[in-house]
Amino acid sequence: MLPQVLKKGDLGAWIEALGKTWKVAAPVLKETSVSDRTDAKFGWEWVVDPAEVRLDYTVTVLGPKKFLWPSRQTVLAYALAGEPNPQAVIEHEPQVLLGVHPCDITAIATLDAAFGKDVPDPHYLARRKDTAIVGLDCAAPCDESCFCLDMGSLHPESGYDIMLTPHRDRYFVEVKTDLGQQLLAGARLQPATKQDMQGRQAFTEEQRGNFHYQLPCEVKYLPEILDASYDSLVWEAIARRCFSCGSCNTVCPTCYCWDVADQIAVDLTKGCRVRRYDSCQLDPFAEVAGGENFRKDRSSRLRHRMFRKGKYILEQTGRAGCVGCGRCERACIAGISIKETFVQIAGSR
Amino acid sequence: MAKPVLMFDSLSCCEGCGLQVLNCETDLLPILEKADIGRFREASDGDVDHYNVAFVEGSIVTPHDIERIQEIRAKTDLLVALGACATHGGVNFLKNFQDPDDVAKYVYGDKRAWFPHVAARPLKAEVRVDAEIPGCPINPREFLEAATCLLTGKPFKLPNYPVCVPCKLADNVCLWHKGAACLGVVTRAGCDPYLCPSAGHKCIGCRGLVDKPNTQAAKDVMAEFGLTVDDILREFRLFQGIYKEVAQEA
Repeated sequence: MLPQVLKKGDLGAWIEALGKTWKVAAPVLKETSVSDRTDAKFGWEWVVDPAEVRLDYTVTVLGPKKFLWPSRQTVLAYALAGEPNPQAVIEHEPQVLLGVHPCDITAIATLDAAFGKDVPDPHYLARRKDTAIVGLDCAAPCDESCFCLDMGSLHPESGYDIMLTPHRDRYFVEVKTDLGQQLLAGARLQPATKQDMQGRQAFTEEQRGNFHYQLPCEVKYLPEILDASYDSLVWEAIARRCFSCGSCNTVCPTCYCWDVADQIAVDLTKGCRVRRYDSCQLDPFAEVAGGENFRKDRSSRLRHRMFRKGKYILEQTGRAGCVGCGRCERACIAGISIKETFVQIAGSR
Repeated sequence: MAKPVLMFDSLSCCEGCGLQVLNCETDLLPILEKADIGRFREASDGDVDHYNVAFVEGSIVTPHDIERIQEIRAKTDLLVALGACATHGGVNFLKNFQDPDDVAKYVYGDKRAWFPHVAARPLKAEVRVDAEIPGCPINPREFLEAATCLLTGKPFKLPNYPVCVPCKLADNVCLWHKGAACLGVVTRAGCDPYLCPSAGHKCIGCRGLVDKPNTQAAKDVMAEFGLTVDDILREFRLFQGIYKEVAQEA
């Protein structure tokens, strides 16, 4: 299909049209700082009013992962009086994630690989199959915490149905899949003109000028570098400041560990099994029956997270566990940075 | 099998945790079908000789409180401490950092000799406590969960992670990034969905410290954010003065 453009002024009408068939989630403005109105905080929400959608957003606390992998999910329901009659609970409905940055597109691909391997996860995969992704390219890094270029997540080759490239008063629209074509049925598209094509090229050049490599090595060398750092004192040094609050895991767009608990109704007639996000930074994460804890030191937990992000997940799925979105660094009030940690261990070999 | 007998009593406190139990409203009905209430100070008169489970709110600040908790302990199979006062001394613990006579004078003036008092302490300082439900006030959902666990024999466990986890999941912008010294980073979670930070207020630590908190990191980071030793102590002492990590040094 030939490239087309969508005027920014026509975005609302398109979202309105999408809303007739799909539930649409997009970034909206959550709040602005009282002292500095330009300090805007955005968040991913279900769209109520298309005018609220802010495709000029930068960072969000949680990514669009929450629509594919909710923090709390009922996976099984059963009865307690009489026959247990357990029923798997698999919930999904057609949804569109609109305005997903390249780092989050890459993160979703990592989740796809993680939930698809070994025993495929029906709860995640059902939602994923029912989800369309409209990407939104970034002209510049969101802030100093992000290092998506280094982690190879700035230019995802797939994992989206449409990619929007913002340029002046319009979006350059590239359709990647048949589903993407369907999504555009209600959009007031215009064929891309010669000027639009030049605008698209100008965007690429602008992007190239704005993003810079920050790690001293390519991602493929991270597993080796991490291996060599296993016994380094660096982990203990960083962990002195770590609260083990789990914020880094909680906001991470690729973290997929969960804990399972049974919830019994107060009338004791039925119950359900619920899974919720877990975090390898929390003290009880590696605790097993009998009270043994395989990672009872903060430093070993911190090292484990860095190894997951730079080595283990990469080796298991072929995709790095970190996409360089910078959410963990922003969420950490102690200022522990995965990027700085990678830089530090790469430099201290 | 006879229905288990429950009791609810209050020592020195505002009785807000007892109200939180009553706030469970219709969710209490299935529990009342499976259990009898032997005594409920906040809700009705009367008493019985023996309880299977006693839920006691409030802290111990008078000699009478000590006698009362010993009486209750002798009459019950299980004792559950309800709320910050009963689990950690609550705000009553603040008086332990002040001159005892000044405190008594402030409240009772020249009649203070009529009201003997001791240093504030939680229930576990005087008697064996079998389970604790922290918070100021308690989260009614956590009370219901504990009740369900008691009725089914399931172990009741408090979350052993800080408030940051549910707060991040609520997609809140971190209050530290807005200049508030939020204690959520070291405070035990379990208050959700009634999270103070979701309403824009910093966590003041009413559920006590999480197990193995990195209080040193908390103090370092608070200092980096411009707080003085006194500020930091004041923040922690409101609900967490009982912990040696908090009380010892800043």
